Amino acid sequence: MAEKVKVPINPSIPSGEQTVWADVSSLLDLACKDLRDGELIHGENFNLFAAMSALEIMDPKMDSGIVCTYYSVDEAIESGAAPVPLSFDRTLDVQCTIEIMDHLLACEATWHKGHSLAQTVFSCIYLLKPDRTASHALLHSYCRVIRATCNLVVSVVSDARTHEEEDLFTMAYGLPLKGDGDEKCLSMLHAVEETISRQLRACKAPSSKKRVLEDIETLQTHPDLEEDYCKALLCRIRFRKHFYHVLASMRRSQGRGFELARKHIASCLSELDSILKSSEFLRSNARGPCKDGVEHSTTATGCLPIGFDASLNCRLSAPTPPRSIKILSWRKAIEYFQKLLHDLDIICSYSLDPLLEGVLRFVVEFQKFQPDLVARAHLQLLLVQDGKLYGRDPIFVVISKAAALPEVPRNHDIQKNEILVQLVQLVISLLKILCANAAWQRRKLGKILHDWRVIYIQLELAFQKDLGEISSILNDEKLCAKISKHILIWVEEQTYWIASRFLILGFELELYSPSEYCMVYWYIYVVLIKLAEKTHLKMLTSSETGKRKGRKKKDSLKDLARDYQIPPTVLLLQCQIYLAEGLTMRFIQHFELLQKASIPDHISYLSYKESTTQARSSNLDMHNCFKDARRIAKELRSSFSNDQERMAELRRIEQVAEHNGVALNLICRLGTLDPSLKVYFEFCHHPYFATAVVKRS
Amino acid sequence: MEAATAKEGESTAEFQGSDIEYVSYGGEHHLPLIMRLVDEELSEPYSIFTYRYFVYLWPQLSFLAFYRGTCVGTVVCKMGEHRNTFRGYIAMLVVLKPYRGRGIATELVTRSIKVMMESGCEEVTLEAEVTNKGALALYGRLGFIRSKRLFRYYLNGVDAFRLKLLFPRPELHSSLDMMAARNENAGRIDNVPSGERSLLQEIS
Ligand SMILES: CC(C)(COP(=O)(O)OP(=O)(O)OC[C@H]1O[C@@H](n2cnc3c(N)ncnc32)[C@H](O)[C@@H]1OP(=O)(O)O)[C@@H](O)C(=O)NCCC(=O)NCCS
Repeated sequence: MAEKVKVPINPSIPSGEQTVWADVSSLLDLACKDLRDGELIHGENFNLFAAMSALEIMDPKMDSGIVCTYYSVDEAIESGAAPVPLSFDRTLDVQCTIEIMDHLLACEATWHKGHSLAQTVFSCIYLLKPDRTASHALLHSYCRVIRATCNLVVSVVSDARTHEEEDLFTMAYGLPLKGDGDEKCLSMLHAVEETISRQLRACKAPSSKKRVLEDIETLQTHPDLEEDYCKALLCRIRFRKHFYHVLASMRRSQGRGFELARKHIASCLSELDSILKSSEFLRSNARGPCKDGVEHSTTATGCLPIGFDASLNCRLSAPTPPRSIKILSWRKAIEYFQKLLHDLDIICSYSLDPLLEGVLRFVVEFQKFQPDLVARAHLQLLLVQDGKLYGRDPIFVVISKAAALPEVPRNHDIQKNEILVQLVQLVISLLKILCANAAWQRRKLGKILHDWRVIYIQLELAFQKDLGEISSILNDEKLCAKISKHILIWVEEQTYWIASRFLILGFELELYSPSEYCMVYWYIYVVLIKLAEKTHLKMLTSSETGKRKGRKKKDSLKDLARDYQIPPTVLLLQCQIYLAEGLTMRFIQHFELLQKASIPDHISYLSYKESTTQARSSNLDMHNCFKDARRIAKELRSSFSNDQERMAELRRIEQVAEHNGVALNLICRLGTLDPSLKVYFEFCHHPYFATAVVKRS
Repeated sequence: MEAATAKEGESTAEFQGSDIEYVSYGGEHHLPLIMRLVDEELSEPYSIFTYRYFVYLWPQLSFLAFYRGTCVGTVVCKMGEHRNTFRGYIAMLVVLKPYRGRGIATELVTRSIKVMMESGCEEVTLEAEVTNKGALALYGRLGFIRSKRLFRYYLNGVDAFRLKLLFPRPELHSSLDMMAARNENAGRIDNVPSGERSLLQEIS
């Protein structure tokens, strides 16, 4: 390309600060002539991401511009896509308004479930032009409260922001998320609610009183439908009001608004019930036939709502190809909100346990319900506010309690130590990660495992090196040594706890295939043993601090199990260890016999292989893990009688142990003789300890 | 990176395994064949740039399967440095419906993996929808493990698995042929997931 090309600057489009618009057609023409068919110019920065983000103009699969019905919101409005009022027939107007409300609910749930705001809630043309609805008090106030609610939810999720899941969720550029005066939405909504309540009272009043109330205009024109339409609107409006209050109260710091939030949650749930109940009436008076069946419909009436066009702002949705997304059905949306409210209720009824161990258990239990993003964001904001637990307890204090550090004289700032500052950060990120979705959580846990390992070494060094320094701050070498010991044990315990959570989450995420179970259970077995050891050690050292008994704990865990002093928490771990051990050794060797699964030669397997070979050579009537698990679980019942959650875990353990014991016997008796015997695993009794099922094929 | 449009079954073609001819990407004339196949079977739309990105930079890693002159299957890959490991990546894999279940995909993938291995790759990865039973089974048989789950990875909102195959360390030489042997028993563990391995090293 030796020739010089002149590119005309296009004056019809105003230039930007450092840019001008120019017509490059001539340049492109020349470039085209220069390129042979099939040639590719590959700039160094043109990577896979760039290639994938490139669009082919006019390809309907990619070009979001060509799938739109209208070119602009204004054009849509001019074409009558979103009339105000919806109809001059007041009954029809009410019907259509209810449909908009229902569809918006469905859109909102779909947004919460992971689609963009632009393609869900803001597919509503009325929301896009806040001022247009001013003459329609009902629609206007409803739109306002929707925008205000979306705003609250976006702020919760973006304040909690830890990863990419939230990015799509909070992406709202180009959307009128904040309408002028939206902050007054509650009082406007309240006024509308008052009016409709009066209309409801009026139509229910005995006819003798009617005359007095005659000056009240009815909601719509059919006297016999008046009561039901008033009710259908009231529960929808009240739901919005209470839901807004739930979110607003939950944002108050240190969980101060939780009690109030719970009241609103209860009200929300009861309004949702009323909304559901209204569907029968609404459907039987629908303005048209139900299009795709009540099950899939996004409205109670079954009719398609007026005033929505998802393609209008698909250009705003994301730098991705446009997808026509499927809006959840109205029923599914209500189910979603019921679930969300229940999840929020769990958070609001949490006791704000000051002990880290309790916090971790709470989060793990909470995650078992598989809460969605909004609920998880709320939990995260509760746990970590202003760098403190619940915005209340400094993390270092929390760590001190968890590690049972001896009382440090007030004026000594050992927490200013750089590594201890890092440790505080590690605890904060652990708490945040535990609130994320399981997939991301596991990945992140795998990564911070390393950080915990590193900080252990750093702490160890710091305490050795700085012992002089720190102890001179503390003026007490003994105290310093004690602190060092406690912290180190605790850090190790946390590390193994993280490792066990990492391994266990793999089951929930379906990452393991049955052929890998033996390996996984072996890892779990190893990690749990370490965890139990550290937990036990921690408990011993902390009681030692009181008693000064100085006993050594070098016994193996099996000896420990016979020790009457072992705390129940450790014994519970011991049960799980037995299960893991049982699932590793016993089955796998038979599983292996039956399925001829070969264990690969791999360095990291050496110790594993060793242990399986040992198990093989050992006698079958040896010590039975499942029996032991059952025995300890039974004994533990009395220790946990006040702890529902742990009682449930004990029951699950007993069931797995019992079934696996039976299965094991069966295999031992028939296994090698009967090649038609098939063994497979199910998770019917426990989320991650498998139950073996033996069947003849 | 692919998301399949899942429709299984339909009519199957009668043919012998030996009727299938496998060729490495040979130039521009192969490109429309690949694009047509992928467009038909995978839900993600790819621009021409995406295809060119792969086949021009790593033509030796893309293969096509022909039955009597018709292209019935293809695999498209890349490789490169990724966080200090040299990693192969399977971007697209498609076999036309009537030709499925006869080992064509396995052969295509095995060929690519072989080249990756010879080129010094230490591992191979790819993503597959958690619902894509066929692909998951296929890669599972080849020894891939599910190293991660990717939350709502695809535009359609479905999660994906990141699948990974670690090549045996040089000192442990186990041949690739063994890996691809079709009548080997299912459920073999060829490799330890990297995450778990480092875990073990830390623990022991
Ligand atoms: C996945 C796909 C490429 C497989 O092609 P294929 O030629 O049928 O695969 P193979 O014949 O080599 O299959 C090898 C093994 O994979 C497994 N497998 C393949 N398809 C399967 C299916 N639908 N269900 C269960 N297992 C399946 C089987 O274990 C099979 O071995 P077997 O036939 O001895 O039982 C093909 O189904 C396809 O094109 N699908 C649509 C696109 C797609 O999903 N691509 C992969 C995205 S990651």
